[in-house]
Amino acid sequence: MEKPVNNRAWFLVLPVLLLVAFSAILPLMTVVNYSVQDTFGGNQFFWAGLDWFEEVIHSDRIRAALGRQVLFSAIILAIEIPLGIFVALNMPKKGIWASFCLVLMALPLLIPWNVVGTIWQVFGRVDIGLLGYTLRKLGISYNYVNNAMDAWITVIVMDVWHWTSLVALLCYAGLQSIPDAYYQAAKIDQASRWKVFRYIELPKMQGVLLIAVLLRFMDSFMIYTEPFVVTGGGPGNATTFLSIDLVKMAVGQFDLGPAAAFSLIYFLVILLISFVFYTVMTRQKEGE
Amino acid sequence: MMRRSLNLGFGIAGLVWLAVIFWLTTQVPMRDESKDWTGSLDPGGWMAWTLPTALFFAVIAGLLICFTWLAIRSPETPRKGVLGLMTTRGDRLFISLLGSAFICLIWLGVMGMPLWGGVAAALIYAAAVFRWV
Repeated sequence: MEKPVNNRAWFLVLPVLLLVAFSAILPLMTVVNYSVQDTFGGNQFFWAGLDWFEEVIHSDRIRAALGRQVLFSAIILAIEIPLGIFVALNMPKKGIWASFCLVLMALPLLIPWNVVGTIWQVFGRVDIGLLGYTLRKLGISYNYVNNAMDAWITVIVMDVWHWTSLVALLCYAGLQSIPDAYYQAAKIDQASRWKVFRYIELPKMQGVLLIAVLLRFMDSFMIYTEPFVVTGGGPGNATTFLSIDLVKMAVGQFDLGPAAAFSLIYFLVILLISFVFYTVMTRQKEGE
Repeated sequence: MMRRSLNLGFGIAGLVWLAVIFWLTTQVPMRDESKDWTGSLDPGGWMAWTLPTALFFAVIAGLLICFTWLAIRSPETPRKGVLGLMTTRGDRLFISLLGSAFICLIWLGVMGMPLWGGVAAALIYAAAVFRWV
């Protein structure tokens, strides 16, 4: 039976469009308006043109924050994606242990971000924290409050602890959708474990991996709460990522114009990288 | 009949768009007995509208209306361009707008103000995207 096509059905999208307009489009328009003006409060604005964009582009402070942010996202993706795949491959496929593992994996995802930050802030303290205290007793020098490398390691391990489960659960869902016939055929062909992974499991997981990479990239690129609670962006500016810097500028210094220009550039960078990721990964999928 | 009502609907949308542009120009405040083209359109308003930013969004809204009309009037199948991507007109518009934003930012970073050179480069880039991507 041929399905009727009626473009008037597009009007059914209107309620969602209105909701998105109020929650996203109007605020974005306001940010664009602020980015070309200056204000000293009281909703009084003065035209500044593109000066704020020039200032942000030439700012050493923002360039340094961008560098830290890119490095952080790259490290996070390099650890969480392979680790998530590895965990998913080793999770039980059925039975009570499968349910137990699923619940266990979902637990970190249910904890609010500021609570995760607080947990790790206490956990890493050298005086009362289990991790910090144990490391000190073992003779390992560790103090995330005044050592930049320790602060970075803490923030990265915290993110891995919090979000690897998401990648693992997505990959697990992808693996569960593979019919047994594929594995039986591989067994008949005497395919090695690596070949089963490379030619059966990985291609079948590609759709969910695309979502996992995109989600983890965007989330890690916009990370704010956890490092803010643990290190407050320190020591010095060692863990001041883009969001932390942006909030300092917009709320701390009330520089609405430069902060708006900064957030628009930030938004464009995220949009570009997500588009490139999406295009590359969907092209690979089409190729196969 | 269907096509006539479609053209009529989008024709009305186009007229409304022009009316909005005209209305915006009438809202420009006066300063020292001449129009202050970059002045606030809604003094004291939290959205802080100015004519240049309103025109920027009006142009994007106009492009969306125009491309929606084109998509309904003459539907197309995606094509493969020089980048090897399957793209429709809408995809090419998105790539053009995103790339143009970065061209203007790079121009600002390297050459500084004024931005006219960057805008010209962005227009050339957009034409190239629509032709070859």
